[in-house]
Amino acid sequence: MSVLSVRNLSIDYIGAKTVFHAVKDVSFDIAPGEFFGLAGESGCGKSTIAFAISRLHRPPALIRTGSHILVDGRDVLELDDAELRSFRWREVAMVFQSAMNSLNPVLTIEDQFYDVLNTHTGMSRSAARERAAELLGLVDIPTDRLSAYPHQLSGGMRQRIVIAICLALKPKLIIMDEPTTALDVVVQREILQRIHKLRQELGFSVLFITHDLALMVQVSDRIGIMLEGELVEVNDAQTIYRSPSHDYTRKLWASMPRLHGEQIAQDAK
Amino acid sequence: MAFLLRRVVFYLAAFIAAATINFFLPRLMPGDPIQIMFSGAGSNLSMENLNALKLTFGFIDAPIGQQYLHYLQSVFTGDLGRSIKYFPLPVTELLARALVWTLGLVGSATIVSFVLGTLLGVMAAWRRGTLFDSVVSLLSIFSSSVPAVVISLTMLFVFGYSLHWFPNGYAADPMLDPAFGWAYISSVIHHGALPMFTMVIVLTGGFAVTMRNNMINLLGDDYIVMGRAKGLSDNQVMLWYAARNALLPTVSALAISVGAILGGSLVTEVVFNYPGLGNMLYQAILARDYPVIQGQLLIMTAAMLVANFVVDLSYVLLDPRLKKA
Amino acid sequence: MQLFSQLVQNKKALVGVIILAVILLVAIFAPFLSEYSPTQRVGRPHQPPSLDHWLGTTRLGHDVFTRLIYGARVSLAVGFGAGLMITLVGTVLGIIAGYRGGVVDEIINFFTNLVLVIPNLPLLLVIAAFVGQASPPVIAVILGLTSWAWGVRVTRSETLSIRQRDYVKSAEMLGEPSWRIMAFEIFPNLISIVGINFIGSVIFAVISEATLEFLGLGDPNTVSWGIMLYNAQNASALSVGAWWDLLSPCFALALLGLGLALINFAIDEVANPRLRTGGMLGRWTRMVRAGEGKV
Repeated sequence: MSVLSVRNLSIDYIGAKTVFHAVKDVSFDIAPGEFFGLAGESGCGKSTIAFAISRLHRPPALIRTGSHILVDGRDVLELDDAELRSFRWREVAMVFQSAMNSLNPVLTIEDQFYDVLNTHTGMSRSAARERAAELLGLVDIPTDRLSAYPHQLSGGMRQRIVIAICLALKPKLIIMDEPTTALDVVVQREILQRIHKLRQELGFSVLFITHDLALMVQVSDRIGIMLEGELVEVNDAQTIYRSPSHDYTRKLWASMPRLHGEQIAQDAK
Repeated sequence: MAFLLRRVVFYLAAFIAAATINFFLPRLMPGDPIQIMFSGAGSNLSMENLNALKLTFGFIDAPIGQQYLHYLQSVFTGDLGRSIKYFPLPVTELLARALVWTLGLVGSATIVSFVLGTLLGVMAAWRRGTLFDSVVSLLSIFSSSVPAVVISLTMLFVFGYSLHWFPNGYAADPMLDPAFGWAYISSVIHHGALPMFTMVIVLTGGFAVTMRNNMINLLGDDYIVMGRAKGLSDNQVMLWYAARNALLPTVSALAISVGAILGGSLVTEVVFNYPGLGNMLYQAILARDYPVIQGQLLIMTAAMLVANFVVDLSYVLLDPRLKKA
Repeated sequence: MQLFSQLVQNKKALVGVIILAVILLVAIFAPFLSEYSPTQRVGRPHQPPSLDHWLGTTRLGHDVFTRLIYGARVSLAVGFGAGLMITLVGTVLGIIAGYRGGVVDEIINFFTNLVLVIPNLPLLLVIAAFVGQASPPVIAVILGLTSWAWGVRVTRSETLSIRQRDYVKSAEMLGEPSWRIMAFEIFPNLISIVGINFIGSVIFAVISEATLEFLGLGDPNTVSWGIMLYNAQNASALSVGAWWDLLSPCFALALLGLGLALINFAIDEVANPRLRTGGMLGRWTRMVRAGEGKV
């Protein structure tokens, strides 16, 4: 069974007079352990889908009736508030776009592990500290950084910490919304390799969102291409790379310098 | 530490600036500055006392630079001269006595309205676009645009003169002995409640608007969304993620508004005949008691600077980014 | 212009402009609205409101309504006059400090911060006390000279960010003189900040003028709302039950403040759409209720 199954998802932004259709009748699946890429230009609706999976939208966004988002067979859109809180992060965790800005600037790193561990598992402070140290180990960050504030860490370190926080509850799916756009190329590469390795060890699936198709082909198993709210092509990464079937995919490729695929995946092995 | 030290030096400069204004104002006015300063005294002042006053305010037979230094010396040794209306009471003693009441009134009103306004602002921003938000915004517009004197007079008319819920003046029942008995304390609270409540109305709106706008400007930030994605409760995200960060600019806005708060309290005290600095000042203005009028500028400036320093300190505590700076 | 057309559609702006327009018209046409003179005894002392005297009379037998509509002239004149001065000084200094940077900026910034920590009303009181019975124009000038600091601060910080934009950089490359860049590249982009500063300063000036006069620092022969308050307070209007004497100028001041503040909030909302309240979610809420979707 799929970890994530999106069915007929439509999302609108309701203005006072106009309606903007951000996502139009999108369906796709992500298998256990799969690395699924969602590509498209900015504003094509890919982040809107990511937000919908954890139900993070706020008015005036509207997920249309008839849409279904199944995580492990359960429809996220049917959850009540309490179920939703317990679902978030435990089943789907998320890495956000700006590495510089996704940690709370006034809380220590330890606090930001503690609040999620305590909320979901009732873990005590000292147990949470131990678990946080263990998780930081996974992303090669020394334990003494637990008492640091975000501004004392580099962008790459912050993003690795976010990934460690993502792993705290062993989710089935991690959504990465342009996780490396704010980072330089070397750091970006290092982070993607690490995610690749952790995925092999821990077995979670990844929904990876970027506008950088070349990068995506290097890391993804399968890829979906989005255009103005519609999912126009879904195929395995090599097919998207070698013989794209949709016009728009070909145009995307034409607009990008070509790189050699599979590099990062191989380096990680 | 370097941050706080820089602030202290700056505050010292600000205090000297206020003293400088005091020194030059009477000298810039057309006419004889000594005549202007002490005309209110009429013939009540003996030659000897007048000379002592002149000395305090730097009116000596010397170049203006030396006069200025002489005046600064008086100020920094705590000698603000003597009141002309209440001669021979020293200005410092007179103002200190009044300051106690003002600080009590302003302090309690500021704390209440800051907490209340900040909470309202947090909740309005969190429920942006709802009826609650619109109501809070409209009340805030009202409270921050209607003059303090108008709100004070209206409150006094409604709750003092019409409904008789509260007394119309004074800080306590003048019949009571100001010993620290329950009767006295409850009388102080009863007399202080209406002016305090009035100030709360005047101040709350400004704090609510500031907090609401600060909150809204960061609600789209990634760490807020991440807090929600982590499955934290709404209250947790609202208070520990959003409000905790929005509080920083709100606190610095508080520092700037201390001056306006003190200004508002002057008016409220006059309307409620409350024996604080405002009322003292009102009496001084009516009697053209310049030493007192000048003294209150220095006291108010000092109060403002101390308040700013307290805000600086709390800022250092609230914002981890400043600790190392 | 876009700012303007958006303002026209804003309900707060509409209500604010209507209030302001009514007060302005009343002030202009005051002589046609009342048969009395604002400075002459036209009735017995402290008569309650009646058909002859819509808002009653003062202790001196002046007609309160007449004084109120003539007083609007003073409030508006002082408010807009001082507001204009405050905004002019604040904008010019703010742009120069923000654009020039360096020593100029440090000097301006230092004085701005200095003025910001000296409490404004006590400072005004000292100055006004030495001036002696200050007439409205004098009050306006005093306000203009002492209250520009807040404007400098916001204008400066906004200029700092605009200075980095491409169009400013390219104008610099083209060798435009710096006064032209400040006037034609930077200033137009500050228009909403300047607008907010202006209206805010007008509110501040109206309030301050009334406060100074209420505290006895104005010229008692002026016909203005502040002097009305001062006279009513001195006549112990509340204790003798002549509430109309005191509450009429109170109501007028509250109305003017409210009208101006509504305009200011509207500019703020238009310049920063995220701050908008109400209205925009109505359609969304209806759709959710109708079961068309959820978040």
